[in-house]
Amino acid sequence: MIEVSDIHKRFDDVSAVAGVSFKVPSGAFLVLLGPSGCGKSTMLRMLAGLEMPTGGTIAFDGKVVSDGDRGWMTDPALRNVGLVFQSYALWPHKTVAGNVEWPLKVANWPKAERKARVGEVLKLLAIGNLADRYPNEISGGQQQRVAIARMIGPRPGILLFDEPLSNLDAKLRVEMRTELLRVHRATGATSVYVTHDQVEAMTMASHVAVMDNGRVEQFGPPGMLVSQPATAFVASFVGTPPGNLLRLDAPADQRLAGLVPAAEGGPALAMYRAEDIAVSTEPTKHSVALEFAEMSPIAGRAMITGVNGDLRLTAVVDRPPPVRPGERIFFQLPEKPAAMFDADGARIA
Amino acid sequence: MADRAFSLTGRRTTVAPGLILKLVVLTVLGVLIFAPLAKTVLETLTADGIGAWGDVLYGRLAPNLFYRPLVNTLVIGVSVAVGTVLIGGFLAWLVVMTDIPFRRTIGVMATLPFMIPSFATALAWGTLFRNGRLGGSVGFLEGLGVGIPDWLAWGMVPTLVVLIAHYYSLAFAVIAAALASVNSDLVEAAQLAGAKRRRVLFGIVLPVVLPAMVAGASLTFAGGVSNFATPALLGLPVRMQTLATRLFGMIETGQVERGYVIAVLLIAVSALFLWLGNRLIAGRRSFATITGKGGRAKRFTLGASRWPLFAVALLICLATTVVPIIALVASSLAPSSARLFSNWTLHYWAGAPDPAIAQGQAGIIHNADFISATGTTIGLGLVVAVTGSLLGLLVAYAIARYRRGPLTATIAQVSFVPLLVPGIAFGAAYIALFGAPIGPFPALYGTFLLLVIAATAYLVPFSVQSGQAVIRQVSGDLEESARLTGAGFLRRMAEITVPLAIRGLMAGAILIFVKIVRDLSLVVLLFTPVTPLLSVVAYRYASEGFMQFAHAITVVILAISIAATLLANRLQARSQPWMQS
Repeated sequence: MIEVSDIHKRFDDVSAVAGVSFKVPSGAFLVLLGPSGCGKSTMLRMLAGLEMPTGGTIAFDGKVVSDGDRGWMTDPALRNVGLVFQSYALWPHKTVAGNVEWPLKVANWPKAERKARVGEVLKLLAIGNLADRYPNEISGGQQQRVAIARMIGPRPGILLFDEPLSNLDAKLRVEMRTELLRVHRATGATSVYVTHDQVEAMTMASHVAVMDNGRVEQFGPPGMLVSQPATAFVASFVGTPPGNLLRLDAPADQRLAGLVPAAEGGPALAMYRAEDIAVSTEPTKHSVALEFAEMSPIAGRAMITGVNGDLRLTAVVDRPPPVRPGERIFFQLPEKPAAMFDADGARIA
Repeated sequence: MADRAFSLTGRRTTVAPGLILKLVVLTVLGVLIFAPLAKTVLETLTADGIGAWGDVLYGRLAPNLFYRPLVNTLVIGVSVAVGTVLIGGFLAWLVVMTDIPFRRTIGVMATLPFMIPSFATALAWGTLFRNGRLGGSVGFLEGLGVGIPDWLAWGMVPTLVVLIAHYYSLAFAVIAAALASVNSDLVEAAQLAGAKRRRVLFGIVLPVVLPAMVAGASLTFAGGVSNFATPALLGLPVRMQTLATRLFGMIETGQVERGYVIAVLLIAVSALFLWLGNRLIAGRRSFATITGKGGRAKRFTLGASRWPLFAVALLICLATTVVPIIALVASSLAPSSARLFSNWTLHYWAGAPDPAIAQGQAGIIHNADFISATGTTIGLGLVVAVTGSLLGLLVAYAIARYRRGPLTATIAQVSFVPLLVPGIAFGAAYIALFGAPIGPFPALYGTFLLLVIAATAYLVPFSVQSGQAVIRQVSGDLEESARLTGAGFLRRMAEITVPLAIRGLMAGAILIFVKIVRDLSLVVLLFTPVTPLLSVVAYRYASEGFMQFAHAITVVILAISIAATLLANRLQARSQPWMQS
């Protein structure tokens, strides 16, 4: 179990993490999701014990391992964690087997057990045939597997991943996602995974913490983030495609007049789901005319985007209308938005 | 070290990471560097010392004692820094970043001048350019009938030429190492953006290696300012004084307090300049470029200018390596420097005593002093190469991995201090501190141990510089991932950082060995008949006018230095199988 309570981290004058709290049970797969610079990697490094929090506590299985308020923390090696770096950080002067074996050697495993374990994890990651190669002699995907093998070698209770798939090509990324989940299940460990890719988060996580500006915007299972976004940021960040957010400015936007609820009490945002919007080549009741921008097929359906200045809507429909880029197309909004947020992004309806 | 010290007992880190390491490093540096210098300063605060301050700063003799030497010193420092970075940087760029013909050969040749002691280059200059102004035998060029004007034979111009010729390889080494770490992606990204060669060089490559250029300039500035042998041999005969020669003169003539005062002023002046340079580097982000992934070398094509540039590079290298060496070798064989290539004899090397030549002195291989000096010199070089490299790595690690906090800046500054201290003053300070027993410890004067300690301390700036270059190139991730396994500080050093950094470490150790083998100024005061050293024996011959013997011993010093370098190059290639693909 990982329990993070009101964690803060300041670097000189910059606040990287500002009051993060969450709790996940053992065996969970937690994804810290957010854009670059949101503080997710710093959070991960604090979990690893590589950075000391400047406030708040981190507890593993009920035992406090970092206490920013009192300024102490447990040594990284004593936390029972393993970390895969974004750069993989394979030791270039050691072979694949050497990379995996060394942490065990440091932990004083007997030689026979060590060899057995190295063989076991290399087999688990399907890289047994690369044991004698050096890191610069194998591909990026293989390096990734070595990094994971090295991490799980000593059987850590918590696996930490810092954007591990960001250097791989799309096909390999999908393959490695499955591979990572398999490793996660095989080890029974608790995993914490940092990424900016919401698809990775949605597909892998049991719990997601969406972060922005050093704070957790929303914490919950993937489905809940999509169905009940707590903030406008979450609504615009998760889901494939993410929800459409329309600004309801005080002087009502003429393009949307009569289509969206009037903004009461200042500017607000309305969210419409892509699957709730219909499209047609003719104007219909409750529709807005946009210029057709792009379309892509998704699993037998079509995702269509139209624009008009800063107004941009995406719909997912069964049957795409025959339009070409630049032509007009009408997006029919549902009667009520799926959610409303105030100007600060907090959900109001 | 801090984290491990606590984790062994299962307790928790209660101090900032790195604090214990930094305190240990600071203590060692304090004893090695600060204590002897503090003692020197204390000597200037006695009643006599305070009088000396007045004499030097505003007495009737002040312009001669201090101000004129100060101007000369600064002219030398700035000219040498600019000249060496231009020449060293140019060669480094050619060797690392372009398809110049024979790049490896040029790369090796460009590192050689630093192994030729500056007093040897100065002696070689005299062998070639000496004119009749001071009487005695003239140099080779006048022997050929070429008139050499005074400004080319003596004073500032030859001093600058010799010092730049000597120090540019230092700038070359530092800048080449940095250039080698420029990831080819950076260059290719710029090329894709449409940048031409010049634009890539000035827009991408130069900014990335700027820290190395500033470091190189700092090193050579300090070298020029504190160099004693060259201005002494080429400037003193025409009364051109630098602070270093002034200091030497004061201590030689027994005006110890004035000497110490000038030493303190010299340190203050140089410190100001180096502090400025250090600030330029410290404010920048580190460009860690060796990651867990491989890198490739990317070379510019020079096109039509390939061979002309090669000719320029070759000329620079030949003029600073082969020419002085030929001059030295020839003059160790020729009875007259005006006719370098005539009447050659091996007498000065291996001859039996002959009353007709050199006042009956036998060749150097029959000289017992020479034999024992060779052993002592090599022994000292090896021991100090090890102690210096270890210390340098430790200090560099503390600086690079724990960049926050006031202690880091202090460590960096203290480790730079010996650069500001002329070797001869450093030697004097060591005698001042260790000449008498301290508490339970016996006096160290005259022991091999004192030479080792003093030399290690004196070379801390060089070992730290190479240590830093090395540490900064090993990405922090690689070390952090080792830390996560629970490996302690020493183990991470021995099994991760050092193996990855071995190339740089070896280069650093060689630098130290070579500096010791050819050092004169530091050991000239510390040496005793029990611990004779080659450079001192050579200097003694030179000062007694037996130039051929001096040159013969200098050639031996060169041979040892060059052999050491070649050996290390071979070892290096073998110890890094992962570098070959």
